[in-house]
Amino acid sequence: MQKGRKWFKPVFDIVENETPKESKNIPEKKQKVYEEKSLGSNGDANCKMPTINHKNWMKNFDPVNIEDLAVHNKKIQEVENWIKDSCKNTCNILLLSGPVGCGKTATVRTLAAKYNVKISEWITPIDIELPTDYGEYEFKEKQSKKFLDFIISAANFTSLLDNNSNKLVLIEDFPNTFLRTPSEFSNILQQYTQRAKSPIVFICSETNTDNKNAAVNIFTTSLKEQFLIQHIVFNSVSVTGLRSALKRVSDIISKKYSAMYNIPTTDIIDSVVNTSAGDVRSAILNLHFASLKGINHNLETSIVKESKVKGKTKKKKATNKFMSLGKDQTISILHGVGRVLNPKVLLDECGKANLSHPPEDIVEQFLSSPSTFINFLEENYLPHFSCINDVDKAVSTLSDADYILAEWREKYCQEYGLYIAVAGLMLANKSPVSAWNPVRGPKNMNVQYPSLQQMPLLDNSYLYKGKVLVTDYLTYCKIIGNKTGCEESLSNEDEIIE
Amino acid sequence: MSLWVDKHRPKDLMKLDFHKDQALRLKNLVQQSDFPHLLVYGPSGAGKKTRIMCLLRELYGSGAERLRQETMHFTTPSNKKIEIMTVSSNYHIEVNPTDVGIHDRVVIMDLVKNVAQTHQIDSSGQREFKVVILNEVDDLTKDAQHALRRTMEKYVATCRLILIANSISRVIPAIRSRCLTIRVPAPTENEIATVLHTVCKKEGLSLPSELAMRIAKCADRNLRRALLMCEACKVQKYPFTSDQKVPEPDWQQFIREIASMILTEQSPKKLGEVRQKLYELIIHGIPPDMIFSGLLCELVRNCDMSMKCQVANHAAEYEHRMRLGNKPIFHLEAFVAKFMAIYKKFVEESLGDAF
Repeated sequence: MQKGRKWFKPVFDIVENETPKESKNIPEKKQKVYEEKSLGSNGDANCKMPTINHKNWMKNFDPVNIEDLAVHNKKIQEVENWIKDSCKNTCNILLLSGPVGCGKTATVRTLAAKYNVKISEWITPIDIELPTDYGEYEFKEKQSKKFLDFIISAANFTSLLDNNSNKLVLIEDFPNTFLRTPSEFSNILQQYTQRAKSPIVFICSETNTDNKNAAVNIFTTSLKEQFLIQHIVFNSVSVTGLRSALKRVSDIISKKYSAMYNIPTTDIIDSVVNTSAGDVRSAILNLHFASLKGINHNLETSIVKESKVKGKTKKKKATNKFMSLGKDQTISILHGVGRVLNPKVLLDECGKANLSHPPEDIVEQFLSSPSTFINFLEENYLPHFSCINDVDKAVSTLSDADYILAEWREKYCQEYGLYIAVAGLMLANKSPVSAWNPVRGPKNMNVQYPSLQQMPLLDNSYLYKGKVLVTDYLTYCKIIGNKTGCEESLSNEDEIIE
Repeated sequence: MSLWVDKHRPKDLMKLDFHKDQALRLKNLVQQSDFPHLLVYGPSGAGKKTRIMCLLRELYGSGAERLRQETMHFTTPSNKKIEIMTVSSNYHIEVNPTDVGIHDRVVIMDLVKNVAQTHQIDSSGQREFKVVILNEVDDLTKDAQHALRRTMEKYVATCRLILIANSISRVIPAIRSRCLTIRVPAPTENEIATVLHTVCKKEGLSLPSELAMRIAKCADRNLRRALLMCEACKVQKYPFTSDQKVPEPDWQQFIREIASMILTEQSPKKLGEVRQKLYELIIHGIPPDMIFSGLLCELVRNCDMSMKCQVANHAAEYEHRMRLGNKPIFHLEAFVAKFMAIYKKFVEESLGDAF
């Protein structure tokens, strides 16, 4: 690994020496790190180290073979085909996108190792502007220029120390400048396709709420068509995939690291699977934490909470969840709508009725903006009610909620508004209708005012208000316009009056 | 051919048909070569815009009547391109900022800046300022209203704003205090009838005074609507008879249908159907407050006194919330549900008495 790094560094050292003289005064140039990672031998090297003190101990569990990957076979196949096709001196471009921790990078690295392809990865340097002794700021290359230099030299030049000829450039860390000016990016791709001789892979993590989604913003459809970029979308890892991946991890643990870890039980694995929501990386982290030695066993059971559903007929499995670790449990919009509209009431020992999902939990677990959720509720609540008095109560809480949400500058108003709507809907329904009701999305309420072309009678040089057009002009223009049209053709009024 | 309502619009302040003393005051206001920002408000169809155009003519002469339509383009901070229709002369520019929805702030700031930065070409003998007319100021977002406040102060030297609103209750106080507010009340029914008579005279038609009164009643003290109704009547049947049918706007019929739906059955299922109808009205651009008042008028016809009071009380509450909230449909629906609950109880009680 060290050696692998060496060949590359001098190249940039030379470049540095060529920069203007002021830069010599600055020893902290090293802040920019171009990291070169060679992967082929990574796995083996780490496996020989039985300590946990490796700087990235997660590597211990990195997949070695394709079979170890938790990703769906079909996706692996797609990526594999692409790598096979583009090994030979092509400059194909691949875009991988998917939620975090679904194994995008791992897939590429594992496959690259299999086909003996060397990966060079770009890591965006940290730019810190420090004035020189004379108080001036040093000249800096543009980030995009550095990026281009890197990907082209990484694609075209082989290290002296390894003799494989196939190379692959991996970009996971996009320089910020492209997020600001996507046009710059297409220039760079243009140059790359002209000059480079190796395939390039872009990896974008998708986040569902964020509008800074690189996959969408940078890689527009036109860009994809222009450069024939293949786009493979990963889904989050399935439960079975996660479980087998964790099994493998626990095998590794039992073979090599039993000094460090307790061997995880299936119970723990199950609960880790439940909490991690399809994210392999966080699942492994959680498993690591859960099975570290030095935690006494009593504590361990206390963090596993079992909530059993009591009904005899229901075949619902008891779900274990880590209460103190793992991601916060989140629910999707549709799930949330279901919970609010079909409230389940549990009777406790004293005969007091409790909701199985209290409103405050639903409000807390909710990620998207309150107004979207309330729109969903409003669209869907009606079929669940059978009595108009209940509807009255429910919808008046919705009205309250909308009133409160309108004050968007107060953060508390958002929470209270959501709480009022959720609690109101859950408590108002005294006699629910149990039937299957598909969830509908809220109506798009964009008002479409009639255009002036539809009403030729109107004066062209007068600015009509949309509201007025609809409420006053529309009906009468129809009557008047129809009539004048008819008059010309028929010139007989009495017949048409009927 | 153009509509009567456009054709017979008065062009001179002195020729206005009603509120003549107000017109005189406006004339005097402009006589002193300068005027403050104006906020003209009043119900729809009361003649606000007509008065403003007359005022501009008084100010700039007939040059203010040579209008041209133009589409202007703006870019929001999030790089979204928006376009908006404007009507302008050499001296003024008119725009409906609410046409672009939540991006109205950008339009207001850029437009006023553009206008204010270009000076009059020939300032000799002309006024030193241009006029920007903004429609529907009460429907602007709060954000846009605050932006307006700042621009008003900044560019007061080179441009004057004339703001038009239906009600000033939703105009922020900061704007209200920076403007001279002028209220244009709706014409009385008699005034409307007089206008109808003069217009018919100009068209060479004879209008029976009963029909004129009936149109004036139907038009809800909205002169624009009255003139359109009158023309539609003429098209449907001429010579006029005093008992001929006055066509009413189709959305009013639609609201009546909704009201009868509510009265036939009070159940969640029916409420669902009513909601679909309300959606339809809103999407077609009928202002929610007009839906609300129309619905209330139709519904209370079937109520006794104590119920009327109760219903009106709830209507007022929900209407107020609707103005302050974001989603009109929520509050409309809440009102309908409330009415259904009250009405159902009433029907059940009266049935109980019968047996």
